[in-house]
Amino acid sequence: MSAPLKDITPAERARSTSFYEASARTRLELLLDAGSFVEFIGPEQREVSPHLKIFDLPEQFDDGIVVGRGRLDGSPVFVAAQEGRFMGGAFGEVHGAKLTGLIRAARQIGSIPVLILFDTGGVRLQEANAGELAIAEIMRAVMEARSAGVKVIGLIGGRSGCYGGGGLIAGCCSALAVSEPGRIAVSGPEVIETNRGVEEFDSRDRALVWRTMGGKHRRLLGAADVFADDNVQDFREAALELLELVGPFGLDALKAEQERLADRLRRLSACSDAVDIWTAEGIAHAETVPELPADQFIALADRTGRTSRDAR
Amino acid sequence: MNTSWQNNRAARDARIAAGAGLARGKVVEAHDATRLLEAVVRPGDRVCLEGDNQKQADLLSRALLAVDLSRISDLHMVQSGVVLPEHLDLFDRGVAKRLDYAYSGPQSARIARMLFGGKIELGAVHTYLELFARYFIDLTPQVALIAAVSADREGNLYTGPNTEDTPTVVEATAFKDGIVIAQVNEIVETVPRVDIPADRVHFIVKSDTPFFVEPLFTRDPAAITEGQILTAMLAIKGIYAPYGVQRLNHGIGFSTAAIELLLPTFGERLGLKGRIATHFALNPHPALIPAIESGWVRQIHSFGSEVGMDDYIRARSDVYFTGPDGSLRSNRAFCQTAGLYACDMFIGSTLQIDLQGNSSTVTTSRIAGFGGAPNMGADARGRRHPSEPWLKAGAEADPDGAALMRRGRKLVVQIGETFGDKNVPLFVERLDALELAEKLNLELAPIMIYGDDVTHIVTEEGVANLLLCRTAQEREQAIRGVAGYTDIGRRRDHGMVAHLRARGVIRRPEDLGINPLDADRSLLAARSIKDLVRWSGGLYAPPSKFRNW
Repeated sequence: MSAPLKDITPAERARSTSFYEASARTRLELLLDAGSFVEFIGPEQREVSPHLKIFDLPEQFDDGIVVGRGRLDGSPVFVAAQEGRFMGGAFGEVHGAKLTGLIRAARQIGSIPVLILFDTGGVRLQEANAGELAIAEIMRAVMEARSAGVKVIGLIGGRSGCYGGGGLIAGCCSALAVSEPGRIAVSGPEVIETNRGVEEFDSRDRALVWRTMGGKHRRLLGAADVFADDNVQDFREAALELLELVGPFGLDALKAEQERLADRLRRLSACSDAVDIWTAEGIAHAETVPELPADQFIALADRTGRTSRDAR
Repeated sequence: MNTSWQNNRAARDARIAAGAGLARGKVVEAHDATRLLEAVVRPGDRVCLEGDNQKQADLLSRALLAVDLSRISDLHMVQSGVVLPEHLDLFDRGVAKRLDYAYSGPQSARIARMLFGGKIELGAVHTYLELFARYFIDLTPQVALIAAVSADREGNLYTGPNTEDTPTVVEATAFKDGIVIAQVNEIVETVPRVDIPADRVHFIVKSDTPFFVEPLFTRDPAAITEGQILTAMLAIKGIYAPYGVQRLNHGIGFSTAAIELLLPTFGERLGLKGRIATHFALNPHPALIPAIESGWVRQIHSFGSEVGMDDYIRARSDVYFTGPDGSLRSNRAFCQTAGLYACDMFIGSTLQIDLQGNSSTVTTSRIAGFGGAPNMGADARGRRHPSEPWLKAGAEADPDGAALMRRGRKLVVQIGETFGDKNVPLFVERLDALELAEKLNLELAPIMIYGDDVTHIVTEEGVANLLLCRTAQEREQAIRGVAGYTDIGRRRDHGMVAHLRARGVIRRPEDLGINPLDADRSLLAARSIKDLVRWSGGLYAPPSKFRNW
C-alpha cells in the first residue's frame, strides 16, 4: 500500500501527512531535512520506565519520547517528540529525564534551538512523583536555556494535546505553533468536570472543549503565535517562521507579557465562553470561527489575533 | 340476554370523554399533561411509552411519573426502549409494575439491579420484531404515549426523520380501541407530511422543548484502531468479496465503521465497487458517507435517523427513503423485516462469544437487551428467494444436499478483536448471560445471537468459516483457531487448527493475501468527523459532542 509513496518528494509527503495522525517518529522524519535525524538514547539502549512493570503495564523501548538532533533547512536543531499513543504521551521518570538532558545540552552549546513536539496528557499517574519532579526540572531547564540565548519552540497538534505539566512547559517556551486539533491547557476537560461539575464544563461536549482549549482559540488569544494546518510540512514551515520571529529573552520581555496577560484578564474576565471572547476581540460572526478552513482562519488570526512573541 | 360486543369501544369513548375536558379540540397544554393521563389511564393498563432506541417521548414520561398513585398504579409497560431514567423511576415509584421490552442501552446496569431487587416484574426481553408482533397478539397497548415533531389542529402528525416505532405502536393501539396521546415539538397550520393520520390520534400535548434524540450511530473515525482496520480488511476480502454480498446490515461497532470507511479505498483497489455493499438496511451511519459519495451505495432503508444527517439525506434522496417533504422516512418494523428477509448478511460486534459460537452483550451486571441484532443476525427460515451469497452459504453448509431442495443460509458474521475494550477477552468458556439467567431465575439466558445462526467469526487472527465445520469439535477448534492469545485461543489443538486451515475453514491474513502491516489508518477514507463533513460537502452537521474543532 505504501508503494506509490516512493515517487513523491519528502515535502510532498510531509504535506500529505497529518501531524495529528502521525507517530512521533514519522513527525520527526518528515519535519526535519530528509535523513538528518540522529537519535539520542535510542530504542536499542532500552531505557524503559523502571516503574511500569510494578503495575503490570507494558513498557515502551523509548519510554514514549524520541530525542535527538537534526537539521531544519540546513541549520542544526535539537528535537524532542512525545508519542501520544503510549500512555497518552505522559511524563514519567525516563521520559522526563530525556527531555531535561536535551534542553540542558542545548543550553551548554548555546546556539542551537530546541523544537519540542508536545503530545501529552501530563504526568504519568503510575510514576507521579518522578513525573512531577521531571516537569519542574524541564521548566527550569527551559528557562535557563532561554536565558542563555537558546530558542525553545513548541509544536502542538497531536492526539493527546498538551495538558497538565505539558501545558506548563509549553507556557515556558519562546513560542508555540498549534493546529486546530491541538489543545493547550493545564487541567483537562475531565479533570475540570470532576472537580467543578458538568454544569461548569461538560467534558463530553467536544465542540466546547475545542473552542475553549483548541488551537484556534489559543492562536486568537496569543498563546500560540503561529497556526499550522494539520500536516507535517505546515508545522515545519511554522517552526522555521518562529525561529525567525523569536526575539531576545529577558526581564523586559517578561514584564511586557505580564502586562499583556493582566490586560487580557481585565478585558475578558466577564466572558463566559470562547465565542464571547472572540466577539469582544472584534471578530464578526464569532460563532463561525470553528467552521473556518485553515487559510481563512489564518487570515483572520493575522488580522485580529493577539501575538505575544512569548508563549502563553 | 343483553350481550355487548363493543365494550372496549365504549371504554375508549369514556376515556376520551374524561380527557376532553382538559383539551381544546385535541390540544392539551403541557402543564395539564399529568391531569390528562390521570383522566384517561386506568390502573393496570398496558401502556406503550414511546421510548425507541433514539427518539424519546420525554415530556410524557415525566408527566406519567407525576401521576397520583391513588388513581394510577401497577401499569404494564410494553415499549421497545427503556432508555430514560424516568422509564425506570416509574417502577421505583409504583406507577408501573410489569415490563416487556427490547432494548435498555444506557439503563442496562440499573435495570439489572431493579430486576434483581424485585422492583420490576419482567415479562420478557424481546427482539424488536418480536415485541412489535406481540403488540398485535397478546401485548396490545391500551394507551400509547408517542413523540412527533409537529401536529396540525386536526391531529395529523409529522414524525420527522425519526419515525422509528411510531406507526407500529399507533397501528396496534388505535385500531384496538386504545388511546393515542402524542407530544409534539410544535403545532402548525399544515404538517410537512402526514406520518400518522389524525383519526388515530386522540390528544396532542405541545412540549416546550424538542423531544430527546440520541445520536446512537455516530462512530468517530479518529477512534478506529489498526486492529479494527485489519479485521475490516479480512472481512471485505474474506467474506464480502467471495460471497458477493450486496444486500446487508451493519452493526454499530467500530469494526463495521472501519469496513464502511475502507470501501472507497481498500475495496476500490480490489475492484469490488458495484459488486458488494450496494443495498443496506441501515441507519444513516455518517461513516458510510465516503462510500455513498464514491458511488458504492445504491439504496438504504433505515430503522431510524441519525442526529446531524438530515440535510445530507435530503440531498441524497436517490439513496435514502424520503417523504414528499424531502426528509427521511424511517420505520423500524419494516427495516427490521427487511434486514431479516431481504439481506444476505449481518455483520456486527459482540462482547462475548463461547465455544459453540453463541454470543451475548450481557455481562453479569448489565442487561442491555437485544434491539435489532437478533433479527438481523438470524437465519430467515421463511425465506424463499434465491441470491448468490445465500445459495453459496447454503451449499457450504450442506454440500451433499440436492440443490433444488437445499435451503440457503444467511451470512451471520461476528467481528471483533480477540481482546476488546479494556483488554477483556472476546472469547469465553461460559457466557456471563448464563450466570445472569441463574441469578434472576430467567427461563432463557439472554443470548444475542445463537451459535447455530453464526456463519463466520472474524478477528485479527483470521476468518473462521463455521459453515464448513462438520462436527461440534471442528466448530470449537475453528473458534479457538481465531481466538488469538485469549485463554480459549491458547487451548487450541494445533494439529486440528492446521488441518482446518488447510481446508480453508480458517483463513489467516496471509492466506487472503493481506499483510497486517498494511492495516494503517491512512487506509481510512475519513480519519475524523471533520473528514466526514468534508466528504458530505458540508451537508453533515455533527452534534457538538462529536466536533473536535
